[in-house]
Amino acid sequence: MGIACVAFIGPQNNPLYLRSMDPATDDQYMKLHYVVHCALDAVEEKVMLKRGPGDSQDAYLGLLYPTEDYRVYGFLTNTHVKIILLLDDEGPIKDEAVVRVFRRLHGLYVDTTSNPFHKFGLPIASTRFDTQLEQIVAVYPRPGASLGGFMT
Amino acid sequence: MAGLQPAPSPGVAVKKPVRRCAEVCLELLCVESVRLFHDKQSGPAAAAALEAVGFRVGQQLAERYTRDKPRLGDTLEIIKFVCKDFWQALFKKQVDNLKTNHRGVYVLQDNGFRWLQRLSAPAPGSDPAREEAARQVALSYLHLPCGVVRGALCHLGVSCTVEADPKQLPSCTFTVRILA
Repeated sequence: MGIACVAFIGPQNNPLYLRSMDPATDDQYMKLHYVVHCALDAVEEKVMLKRGPGDSQDAYLGLLYPTEDYRVYGFLTNTHVKIILLLDDEGPIKDEAVVRVFRRLHGLYVDTTSNPFHKFGLPIASTRFDTQLEQIVAVYPRPGASLGGFMT
Repeated sequence: MAGLQPAPSPGVAVKKPVRRCAEVCLELLCVESVRLFHDKQSGPAAAAALEAVGFRVGQQLAERYTRDKPRLGDTLEIIKFVCKDFWQALFKKQVDNLKTNHRGVYVLQDNGFRWLQRLSAPAPGSDPAREEAARQVALSYLHLPCGVVRGALCHLGVSCTVEADPKQLPSCTFTVRILA
C-alpha cells in the first residue's frame, strides 16, 4: 500500500492542504485536485447513507470510490473537516492501517490548528506540518517515490 | 562527582512527565485580560474584542475535544456535547441544567461557574444597587466564556448567539439562540 496524495478540506469545502508524494507536472496537479474534488461528492453521499438508524456513526468513511490509478479513502471529523487519502492500487489494503493513518493525520491537524496564529479557513502553511506529515506518510511509501512531492 | 547520575543510554525510552499548569494561572490570566481590554478600549468594543478572542479559542478547543468522539448528529446532540464533555474539560464539571423551548433557544445553567468563583458576591437580601453593580462586574467577566461557547458551537456547525446572565453569583445561565 502506498500513499500517493493527502488532502485536507475545510467545512465549506475549501481546500486547506493538498500534498502529493510524487514530483509532478501541471497536469498531475490538476488531476489530483479533480480527484479530490470528486471525492467530496462521494463523502456527502456516504454521510447521507449513514443517517439511517443503527448505522455506525464513525469518522472513517472507508473506500469512497476507485479511479483508474488510485483508490480514494475518506475521513470526516466532527468539525466537518474532510481528510482524503489517495492510495495507489498495488496490493491488498487493510482498513485498520488506513484508519491508523487517518487518526494520526487528524491528530496532526488538531495540533496545528491549536497554534494561536493559525487562521481557520486559510490554507495550512506550516513547515512543521509538512515535515510531520512526511513522517506519517513515510510509514507507507510508494515504491520508487521520493518524499518531496509537490504541494498546493 | 558522586552526585551525578549517568545519562540514560540511548536504547532506553525515557518517558517525559506530562507538563501541567496551575489553574491559578488561568484565573489570573482571565482577570487580567478583562482589565487590559477594558483599559485599551471602552465598553462595547472591549466586550466584542474579548468575545472574539474567546471565539477563536472555542474553535480550537472544539477541534481538540471532538477528536476521537463518534459523529455528533443534530443540534441537540452538539448542545449536549457542549454541556457534558466540553464543560467538563473546560470547567471541571458538567452543566447543571439544560432547558429548551424546542424552537431554537437553549438555556444552560451552571450553579457555580468556575470562572466567577473568585468574584465576591454581595450577601443575599442586601441593597439592590450593590447587587446590580456586582452583576455588571460579573458580566464583564463573562464575555470571554460566552465567546468560547459560541466559537465551539459555530465550529461544530451550529450558528448561534450566546448571552450570559449572572443571576446569583456564582451561578450563571447561558442562553444559546440558534440563528436560522
